[in-house]
Amino acid sequence: MTAVHTTDAAVPTNSSAPRRAAPDGAPRRRGSAFDRALPYLLLAPAVVAILWLIGWPVLSVLVTSFRKLNLRELTRGEVVWTGLDNYAEILGDPEFWTIAARTVVFTGLVVVVSVLAGLLIALLMRLVSPVVRIVLQVAMLLAWAMPLLAATTVYQWIFDQQYGILNKTLVKLGFDGFAGFSWFSTGTSTLAVIGLLIVWQAVPFLAFSLYAGAIGIPKDQYEAAGIDGASAWQTFRAVTWPELRPLLLMVTFLSLLWDFKVFAQIWAMRKGGPDGGSTTLPVYQYLEGISKSHFGVAAAVSVVMVVLLGLLTFQYLRRLVRSQEGEL
Amino acid sequence: MIAKKVSSAKKVTGNVVALLVAVFFAFPTYWMVSTALKPRKDLLTSGYDLVPFSVTGSNFATAWAKPGFLSALGNSLVVTLSAVLAAIVIGLLAALALSRMRFKGRKGFVMMLLVAQMAPFEALLIPMFLMMRDLDLLDRLPALALIYFAVTLPFCAWTLRGFVNGIPLELEEAAMVDGCGRWGAFRRVTLPLLGPGLVATSVFAFVTAWNEFLFALSLVKDQTKETLPVWLSGFQTAFGTDWGGAMAASTLFTLPVLVFFLIVQRKMVTGVTAGAVKG
Repeated sequence: MTAVHTTDAAVPTNSSAPRRAAPDGAPRRRGSAFDRALPYLLLAPAVVAILWLIGWPVLSVLVTSFRKLNLRELTRGEVVWTGLDNYAEILGDPEFWTIAARTVVFTGLVVVVSVLAGLLIALLMRLVSPVVRIVLQVAMLLAWAMPLLAATTVYQWIFDQQYGILNKTLVKLGFDGFAGFSWFSTGTSTLAVIGLLIVWQAVPFLAFSLYAGAIGIPKDQYEAAGIDGASAWQTFRAVTWPELRPLLLMVTFLSLLWDFKVFAQIWAMRKGGPDGGSTTLPVYQYLEGISKSHFGVAAAVSVVMVVLLGLLTFQYLRRLVRSQEGEL
Repeated sequence: MIAKKVSSAKKVTGNVVALLVAVFFAFPTYWMVSTALKPRKDLLTSGYDLVPFSVTGSNFATAWAKPGFLSALGNSLVVTLSAVLAAIVIGLLAALALSRMRFKGRKGFVMMLLVAQMAPFEALLIPMFLMMRDLDLLDRLPALALIYFAVTLPFCAWTLRGFVNGIPLELEEAAMVDGCGRWGAFRRVTLPLLGPGLVATSVFAFVTAWNEFLFALSLVKDQTKETLPVWLSGFQTAFGTDWGGAMAASTLFTLPVLVFFLIVQRKMVTGVTAGAVKG
């Protein structure tokens, strides 16, 4: 976590930690009751909002997952407890396992490809001339800034079966088989297009952050490596990698968090089709919960999603908690 | 030095690769705008049309006049701006308390912010739906404003805390020695210095809410209350095969975000990397 520490290091933190000439608590007149109440007054709106709009739904999703709650129960206001029935229903459904496995594999691939591409582009940016760097940065900014749904719409148009520019280009290059080729005829190729779209939008942020980290690496370390006659790969292994590792871990963790729950692009592209072939857990949750009004089952799906995400990020979360403990 | 010779050859290759990568990233934006500018008849030919030879504004006129576009744009603006304004104000109050004051329970609150920030909101779809139903807010814009406020609040509080931390307390204290009250010192010293941080944080919150799709799709079925992402996702039925109109609408949807990004891009990276997990 060193890379992130640096932001905090110059800043007074809590009263037990050693501080750099920082006074204990802002103004030193500690006397009046108003002064003592002030921090709580400032925090009150945020605490109320978080407990009401996040804390309560978290509890509620757990509770709901143990209830039978379809439209019937909802309109009649009935409370029917069914224990683990919802979980038994989804976990006993082979299709659920297909969807869960698909979600994990898809997330993994998208995260690996986008983090790797982000790293390579970050390193590339250090190498190129200033003008080219600006061109590249502006190009990435364009991708980053495009709203999800606008990007999804543009990709649908690029990959359009009949008039899409991709098929037209492939035909022009001599691949006649792509005339009228449908990119959305199978779940796998649909997910490939969606994956490309997600990577395209995710890489700019990753590349910019890793580039910011890479230019922070002290120059003399590279000079030392140069004097020692290290090859490019050796320099990367000995200097760049150890310096960037904490940042890389963090952006990988963030990417997992973001990519696991992708919904908009998948739903807008083909609504999880064809034949459910591009359905992932968030899409499944929407279908069960909102389309079919099986709220209890959908809540169980949500809980399973969080558990899976927890498992995927477990190692990093543990490190994070440990690194936080001393210094909140 | 040998290293210099190698690096000049490497530099040329690097530049070429970088330009190809730039084309990859810029192409969809180029294609969106150039399609939006093409006359309708040019779109649906099998001819190869990488460059628009004749240009028209009619697609923009079509998109603008399309039923639903203006109301969706208005809905998106109302929902997004109210959510962000609330999140920034309430987040700033919390950030000030956390950054400038020591009090019992501070650690607990910092932990709560961290956890809230990592909460996968999409997994709260069902309780949110039930909650808004109980509040009689289904099919109404305040439901979305409330949810987007909740989504962006932890991020805003956390990131702003980082920005406040960056402003030396000594400045405020000096102002207080010079006779300003605590509020005066804050308003004259800290608030102006906080300006860029407030802008960067608001833009990120704005983009989050501007993009949101799952809750907008689930909680609002009334077409006059649709937000832009939901309206755009229905373009295939709304437009038939009018790709020109769809690309014009997408361009209009992208423009405000692009302008904001150009303004605060640099701050976003530090703000997000520092703020997303830990400031």
